[in-house]
Amino acid sequence: MELAMKKILLVALALIVSLPVHAAVTLKIATVSPENTQWMRDLRASAAEIKTRTDGRVVIKFYGGGVMGNDTKVLGRIRIGSLQGGAFTATTLASQYTDLNLYGLPLIFDSEEEVAYVRERLDAKLQQGLEDAGFVNFGFAGGGFAILMSNTPVDELADLKGKKVWVPEGDSISYASMEALSLSPVTLPLTDVLTGLQTGLLDIVAIPPIGALVLQWHTKIKYITELPLVYTIAFMAIEKRAFEKISPADQAIVREIMDATYRKFDVVNPKDNQAARDVLLNQGIKSMKFERDNYLAIRAVLAESNKALGAKGKFSADMYDEMVGYIAEFRSKQAADISPPPDVSAANK
Amino acid sequence: MKSVFSKRFRSALGLVMLSVVLSGCASMISSAATNLSKNLSSAILNQDDPELVRAGAPSYLLLLDSFVAGSPDDPAILAAGATLYATYGAVFADDGLRASRLTTRARRYAGTAMCEVHAPACDWADATYDEFVASLDGLRPRNAEYLYTYGFASLAFLVAHSSDMNSLAELPKIEALFNHYLDIGGDELNISAYTFMGQLLTLMPPALGGKPEIAREFFEKAIVATDGKDLSAKVEYARGYARLLYERELHDRLLNEVMAADPYQDGYTLSNIMAQEDAAELLAAGDEYF
Repeated sequence: MELAMKKILLVALALIVSLPVHAAVTLKIATVSPENTQWMRDLRASAAEIKTRTDGRVVIKFYGGGVMGNDTKVLGRIRIGSLQGGAFTATTLASQYTDLNLYGLPLIFDSEEEVAYVRERLDAKLQQGLEDAGFVNFGFAGGGFAILMSNTPVDELADLKGKKVWVPEGDSISYASMEALSLSPVTLPLTDVLTGLQTGLLDIVAIPPIGALVLQWHTKIKYITELPLVYTIAFMAIEKRAFEKISPADQAIVREIMDATYRKFDVVNPKDNQAARDVLLNQGIKSMKFERDNYLAIRAVLAESNKALGAKGKFSADMYDEMVGYIAEFRSKQAADISPPPDVSAANK
Repeated sequence: MKSVFSKRFRSALGLVMLSVVLSGCASMISSAATNLSKNLSSAILNQDDPELVRAGAPSYLLLLDSFVAGSPDDPAILAAGATLYATYGAVFADDGLRASRLTTRARRYAGTAMCEVHAPACDWADATYDEFVASLDGLRPRNAEYLYTYGFASLAFLVAHSSDMNSLAELPKIEALFNHYLDIGGDELNISAYTFMGQLLTLMPPALGGKPEIAREFFEKAIVATDGKDLSAKVEYARGYARLLYERELHDRLLNEVMAADPYQDGYTLSNIMAQEDAAELLAAGDEYF
């Protein structure tokens, strides 16, 4: 009897030792999103829910307002383990997974409807690609189209020639695209753009309307050109090795909650962007639009530029072809109609 | 991206202005009323039960409405009404709809007062940022009190309407307004303008072009100028600056100072009691935040 008990105890001990140990895990996540924004409130609410549902085994701490440094610094901190992830835009992690560049190719999309058609078919592949590159993610939140904002009217290609346009640091795609449009790209950190507009260092910026409002750039521009220039996305990415320290059951809880949060962002953002665009007009900023012929002209220039970027390895040819194929499919379905001139305001509704 | 600044101004849109409101009234009405107003001002500011003020102040809102009805073009009366409505709407009206109604009236009174004393202000509702800033240049020290009231009422209005993105777009105008007020305020400068500037300048983090170090100077000026008696300045310093930059040591030090301070300071008791409530909440949530 005693021997039997010892055997049972030994087996039990062996079982306990061989079980994977999942201690409490803290994930530190950086974002440039300012505190007191709805985004941050929603993210913190999600973290609180995760903590509750995992009985404190998973704690997510957010460091907002860019306090952890620029994108390069955040990636460096993730590499050394002082951060486990971040809320990023596509450009930031394109160095880890180039196909994140695809949605943001200039004038690749005509409208939000077109984006929705493509995303329904490609999002899962891009998410998987990002996972394969070592980053767990919870889907993409569309940020709407970056549109042109300027101090002089812009409604045709000729209006752009020689103008100084802001390009974010490290955004080689935008840089090449602006050059293709005969603009003079000026690379500046985000912090210097407002001063750049004020001093004349910059003539034109491109950003979604909500971004312009938050950054107060609307005080230094007089016109918006409602061209669906660049589709923006944001997402959270957590280094896979850090995420795998969480037990599978708790991983599922984190995914369930954060997936829902990012789905919500994806729904709310276009509405916020539309509201922000209306606010810009309320502030006395004038709306400009490209006529159809002018629009097709600028799109043709950028299509060539986009192809050249692909040849330089900025994204994979297969995925690009697949995306372009979906776009063509969508447009052919619309072909019965005479396409109206592109209108971001309508597209965002 | 809604509600960028919703809760941040609640406590600082405090009760400092009540003395101005009521002494403002005093100059317009009878000497008997003068005494009443002065005593009432003191009674409210030194009250240590916010709920009592919440329940009692609406009568005086109606009283001010009656003064405005009697003298609809009198900027002093309009400013007094604007301030009390803004204060009550921002601080005591928990219901969003009530806050919206009360602060809308506050802004209307303040706007009419400004229009009476400075003609370009009649067009402020539709002014672009550049037009608004240009029109501030014509304002002189004698208009400073009205300018402050308009800024104060506008902040209360924007907080109450923080889910409306038009509010977000107006913030730079209000920042420009208080900057100009600080230039022309002179000896009669209302110290709470320093705290408002601190709050406005900590809405945006440095990574997005914000200037929290300038905000820090404003918060510290507010603390020094009141000899540390106004505890709400320290609370907003912690909430705005220390949290923005994740400076927990500063955050906890400021809030612990608030908790340890005697809130019974002449002219600040009511706002200090409320500041201590806020400080306790912020301290309790510190581990979660940092």
